[in-house]
Amino acid sequence: MTDIRILLVDDEPDVREVVDVSLGLDPQFKTRACASGADALITAAEWSPSIILLDVMMPLMDGPTTLANLRKNPRTAHIPVVFLTARMRADEIEQYTSLGAQGVLSKPFDPMTLAASVRSYLPPLPVHHAP
Amino acid sequence: MSLKAIKAILLIEDNLADVRLLREMFNDHGEHGTTLMHVDCVSAAEKHLAEHAIDIILLDPGLPDAQGLGSIRRIHAAAPRLPLVVLTSLDDESLAERTLQEGAQDYLVKGQIEVRGILRALRYATERKRLERLKDEFVSTVSHELRTPLTSISGSLGLLMGNAAGNLPRPMERLLAIAYNNCQRLVRLVSDILDIEKMEAGRIGFNFSRVAVRSLVAQAIEANRGFAEGYGVRVQFDEAGIAADVRADPDRLLQVITNLLSNAIKFSPAADEVSVAVEKGINTVRLTVRDHGPGIPVDFKPLIFEKFAQADAGDARQKGGTGLGLSIVKQIVDRLGGEVGFADADGGGTIFYVQLPCWDHVASLALDHDAKPGVPRILLCEDDLDTALVLREQLRQAGFTTDFAYSVGDALTRAVVTQYQAILVDIHLPDGDGVSLIVRLRALPQYHDTSIIVISADPSRGRDDLRSSRLNVIDWLKKPVDLNRLLPLLAKSIAHEASGRPRILHVDEDDSVACALGAIGDVVTVNSIAAAKNALKTSDFDLAVLDVALAKGASPDLLPELRDSKGNVIPVVVFSAKGARFASDIQVQTALANSHTSIDSLVATVRDRLASRRTSPVREVL
Repeated sequence: MTDIRILLVDDEPDVREVVDVSLGLDPQFKTRACASGADALITAAEWSPSIILLDVMMPLMDGPTTLANLRKNPRTAHIPVVFLTARMRADEIEQYTSLGAQGVLSKPFDPMTLAASVRSYLPPLPVHHAP
Repeated sequence: MSLKAIKAILLIEDNLADVRLLREMFNDHGEHGTTLMHVDCVSAAEKHLAEHAIDIILLDPGLPDAQGLGSIRRIHAAAPRLPLVVLTSLDDESLAERTLQEGAQDYLVKGQIEVRGILRALRYATERKRLERLKDEFVSTVSHELRTPLTSISGSLGLLMGNAAGNLPRPMERLLAIAYNNCQRLVRLVSDILDIEKMEAGRIGFNFSRVAVRSLVAQAIEANRGFAEGYGVRVQFDEAGIAADVRADPDRLLQVITNLLSNAIKFSPAADEVSVAVEKGINTVRLTVRDHGPGIPVDFKPLIFEKFAQADAGDARQKGGTGLGLSIVKQIVDRLGGEVGFADADGGGTIFYVQLPCWDHVASLALDHDAKPGVPRILLCEDDLDTALVLREQLRQAGFTTDFAYSVGDALTRAVVTQYQAILVDIHLPDGDGVSLIVRLRALPQYHDTSIIVISADPSRGRDDLRSSRLNVIDWLKKPVDLNRLLPLLAKSIAHEASGRPRILHVDEDDSVACALGAIGDVVTVNSIAAAKNALKTSDFDLAVLDVALAKGASPDLLPELRDSKGNVIPVVVFSAKGARFASDIQVQTALANSHTSIDSLVATVRDRLASRRTSPVREVL
């Protein structure tokens, strides 16, 4: 079974760890975590994750700016992005989706079902050809 | 902060003598650089606030288009972040109190206050509003900041409780459960605080639609099942009672029912019963939730809907409440246009009730019952009842009759039953967007050319819709509607419809004739006698063209109605597809076969008839 790569971007180390363990409950998930938007741009381009979980409030480069930059780079433009955020006002959610996010997951989250929620945002599995 | 910081004051006042007085006062005593702008009604104020930078609002709530608390609510909704001072001739303490609760910073009575007092009140109101805003921002920031550590705590505890780190020894599991449950309570508390803050700042949009209260109650009971079992309480509800539909936002109403239910469960003795009932009144639906708990202490009754109010603080905290549930209920029910209250129940316990406008009542408002014959009839597709009622009143003064449609489905049904001379469409409707409504209206032959105007909070959004360019929408207006722009548009489009080209009622099942007739007049094609009768009720025609296949069967009952609103007989041309002879009550002259030639000669005959239509009413058969 092929790995599903998940890139997590959050400036809070504790949140990163809890999300990492929660996603680890799905044996197919392989998670990498970045502490900043700038870091995320590089890792996303190099590692080609299947999906990116993005925090909104981060110092220097916030989530929406990171998303805009991901969309500018042809190597990362197609990667689905889901915001993981405590800011869940209706107008904020509307803003995230208008920026091109695939979805929004709220903080605090239920750690036992987080992996399943992330799975629901994954694009249909690509068809693999033998090399 | 001094008055120097107040650069622009918006005065909303319809008494011109008072306006003059205040102007003079500001010129004499006001600081330089402060401008006093003036409008004389709420809708003009809404428009002004959307377009200009204002520092403070001075409002006399008795206005032509809204009165009392209604006008205060609308102005507060239009500018929730601006300080608002009410200046009125009504010296009414209870109104003053309600005014401040609705978001105003001060309540001044005309004649009781002199110039310097008003100026000082404006300064203090500005400062009060600034502090209130700081408090709101603080609450919002703190709540969000709390969520970050809560995410890590509840996440870690949730993983441990879910045995994600292996099975737990019994004593440890018990302690972790306590930590986990209290963490969840803190999470709820934070979202309740944010909900309250959002609602007070007017930042929650309500989406109204027709809601079946019984199925919503069933949902709330289902959602609270585990909670009730935890307290050993049964919830009794007769789901199969008579249907009771209200007009409300289903998500918000569910929140109301859930809060009332969890409250009742919490305060019930173990093994007892909470009963929920839904009753239908004349104009309202009443929902009651009854518990058999200890009842509400007398001292506490006036405070029950206050934030963080808990009858017996220790007891309620033990029960896991946030102290915000009923306050949220009150705020939502107010916004839904309903009423919430409570009473001691016979035999102990408490009954909470919520009363909401019943759907049938709201639906009956949809038809303008003041309609006068000959007055142009407009369909307003808008889901906000208050907005619709205000616009109806304004349009009535301008000489129009206005019916409402609250949804896309509603609009399509209504448009078929009645022929409207113009249609106003709000882009945001509960069951679909306004653009797709217009697409469907344009597909109806009788609305192919009718004037349609879009009204929207953000007109650019719909205008950019790719389909829009083909829809022939006359204009896209921003909310609140500028009457100075809307009224001339309506007058023009209706005048065009009324004069100019002759109006032809075409009763046929075949569209090709309608196309040919379109060259000489505005054609309304209907495909049945019933639809023809409806069209005749709402619109004047200069001539009717009937397909004989339809005319034959129905002529005795259609023909007497072929009169315009002034009672003049409308000339009729009966057109035959087969060249047959007709029923004796129609004066038979000619019959032609349905071919290109015959359509050409039909058009020629119609043209002749129209030219002589004022001289003698003629029924003619081709």
